[in-house]
Order: sequence, then structure tokens, then C-alpha cells
Amino acid sequence: MHVWNFAPVWANADLLALGLLNTLKVTGAALAFGVPLGLVLALMRLSPRRLLAWPAGAVIEVFRTTPPLVQLFWFFFALPILIHVEMTPYVAAVLTFSIQSAAFFAEVFRGGIVSVERGQWEAARALGMAPPQVMRRVVLPQAVKRMIPAFLERAIELMKTTTLVAIVSYADLLFQTNEVAQKTFRPLEVFTVTALIYFTVIFAASQLVHGLERRLAASGEGMTR
Amino acid sequence: MNSLYRWNFAPVLDNLDVLWVGAIGTLRLFVICLVLGFGFGLVVGLGRHAKASWIHLPATAFVEFFRNTPVLVQILWFYYALPILLPFQISPLVAAALGISLNSAAFSAEIYRGGIESIDRGQAEAARALGMTAAQAMRRIVLPQALRRMLPALTNRGIEIFKMTTLASAVAYVELLQQGKLLASLNFNPIETYTVIAVVFFLCLFPLVQATYALERRLGRADA
Repeated sequence: MHVWNFAPVWANADLLALGLLNTLKVTGAALAFGVPLGLVLALMRLSPRRLLAWPAGAVIEVFRTTPPLVQLFWFFFALPILIHVEMTPYVAAVLTFSIQSAAFFAEVFRGGIVSVERGQWEAARALGMAPPQVMRRVVLPQAVKRMIPAFLERAIELMKTTTLVAIVSYADLLFQTNEVAQKTFRPLEVFTVTALIYFTVIFAASQLVHGLERRLAASGEGMTR
Repeated sequence: MNSLYRWNFAPVLDNLDVLWVGAIGTLRLFVICLVLGFGFGLVVGLGRHAKASWIHLPATAFVEFFRNTPVLVQILWFYYALPILLPFQISPLVAAALGISLNSAAFSAEIYRGGIESIDRGQAEAARALGMTAAQAMRRIVLPQALRRMLPALTNRGIEIFKMTTLASAVAYVELLQQGKLLASLNFNPIETYTVIAVVFFLCLFPLVQATYALERRLGRADA
């Protein structure tokens, strides 16, 4: 029978805390780049000009239909040779997850924009607004409110995906866990604690999202996915 | 900046047999996880639908736990942590299959539950009134209709499972990406190798993604 002993985990709590911090750092950075890029991709894809719509569609489809780990490997191992730059695991991770989550965010944006009734668009145009004004003043404000739940759910997915950076040796929570497990010879306890840390953070975030979803539904704003 | 990089796919194409071995590994893991994940997911989904709290509470706990932890953490837990509790070793295939299947079961359980709940209550009641047992009403009346509505969501999950199989390379299971790593380090050509791997995944999944879109559109029209 295995005797559980969590003392070695507590003794290394600082290493795990650093890992969690780094996980949040990558998630935050990828969100900061991914959301605006996602909006740009969505607007391009909705454009009537093929020159804009096609490349955006290609980026979205490629990044949605290839495994994130393959993308990460490509950006970490292949890209530096191609463009002669030093690539750190952190930069590779932020680059990969920004573009990857942008592809998913773009579809959320697109769904939200398309869900706004056409009449609104036409009415705003009839009032003399230019298309960018209509988008900024009339369509986007309504679309964004409907997109919030789908959006936050994607952000949670992103946080789960960031565990992949451990494979290219960035010191996120999962990587630190592996280190501590090897150092203390206590993989069962360390990995269990880490699973619980992820669960606590992600579960709390999803509960918040569900609460918000219910409130938005109550205020008569449907959601799009 | 140096001269432009000269792409050379010959070393990758010379080693197609290595990638083929990986592709078989990827497919094997995919099929195992698809069957176990969707099968167990149905059990858990029905469990969440059950009235008895000793059934739906554990089912809910299972779903919440596996949906709210990263798959990679689950795979590594099964690979490094679980064997300590067991009298035997766990192979990379078993660890990866356990992690991905249980994760997919949790996600598909929610799809099944949503599908079942989307069928009008009156249907089950009518079936009961005709003398069917609850299980018969579920199997003959509710599930066949629900499955149709769930199809796009389930295909999407299947695509996710296919993408997730790459995570098995973290425990050195021989699949496409793992074989790609091997080739890239042997031939020093990560650019061509990882590009080929990405293209292979894209070519496998893109038709599926398009089929899902078409399915969504068709069901959207049929329901309207």
C-alpha cells in the first residue's frame, strides 16, 4: 500500500506557485494578442473583398484544424531556422497560442457579428454612417455582449492548452510539477496536487462564466457559439 | 539575414515508412479513444440525466473534474502517478488512452445530456403512456431523435480527439508527431518534417471539418 505524503509537495510550493504564475502569464499574453488578432481575422473574413477574406479564412482553417502541439513544435523548432531568430519557449508559446486562439476567437466574433440582424446594419447605413462606423457604433457593441460567454469559454480552453508549453520546457505549472516530482520522487502527490490546482482555477472560472451566461440570458441577450 | 532557406523535402519523403508507423499509432489511439470516450460518455450522460442522486452526483463530479483539468495533466497523471498505486506499470498507450478517453467522455456526456434534454418531454411521456418502460422510451424514442441533433457536436468532438492524440508524444507513445520528432532530430530538418506533419493532420481533418459545417447547415434547415 502506498503511504501518501504531501510534505515534499508543500516544501516545494514556491516552485509550483512560480509555475502557476507563468501559466497565467502565457495565458494572459496569448489573450492580449489573440483577441485583437481574432477581431481582425473575423472582419477580414467577412469582407466582400476576396483578397482579404481568403487569407483570413486560410489562417483560421489551418489553425483550427491542426493540433496545437504540432503548431507549437513548428514555431519552436522550425520557424527560428527559417527566419534566423533566437526562439525562446515563452515567445514560441505566446506566438502559437495567440494565433491559434485568434483563429477560434475569430469564429466567435464572426458568429456574433452575423447574429446582429441585417436590418440594423441597413438602418445605420440609411442614417448616413459609413460601413466602419456601422460596425463600430451599431453592430459590434451588440455583438460583443452576445459573445461574452463563448469568449470566456474559449479563454478557459486557452488556459488548458497552455500546458503544452511544458513539452518545450517553459516553466509553467505542469513543467514545474514534473521537476518537483523528479526531485522528490513523489509523482503521485505532486501530480495530484497540480491536477487539483488546475481544477480549482478552471472550475472557478467556468462557474463565473456560467453565472454570467445566466444573467445575460435573463437580460434577454442570447448567446452565440 | 543569411541567404533564403532552401527547402528540401527529400529526407522526409525518404522516411515515409517511419511516418507511416506513426500514422498507424495515431489511428489506433484515435479509434480507441473515440469508442471508449463516446461509449463511456453516453453512460455518464445518461447518469447525469438520472433522478437518483447517487447516480447523478458522481456523474456530475466526473464531468466537472475532467472538463476542468487539462488533458495533458490527466495523461501525465495516469503515466507517472497512477502506477504508484498499482502493482503494475502503465504503458504510454494505456496512459494516453485513459487520459484522452475520460476527457472526451466528460465532454461528450454533456453533448448527450444536451441532446436528450432538447427532445420535448411530451415524447417520453407519450412513449410511457403507450406502455414502454423508461429505458425503452429512451432507447426507441428519445435517443434516435437526440442523436441526429447531436451529430455536429459529436463530429466536432471527434476532430478534437484526433488533435489530442498528438499529446501522447509527451509520454513517448509512437504516433505521428513522435515519429516526426525522431526524424527531425535524425535529419536536422525540423522545418520540412513538422511542415509535413502539419499538412498530414490538415488533410485528414479538413474534410471532416467541412462535413461538420455541411451537417450543421442541413440540420439547421431541417429544424427551422
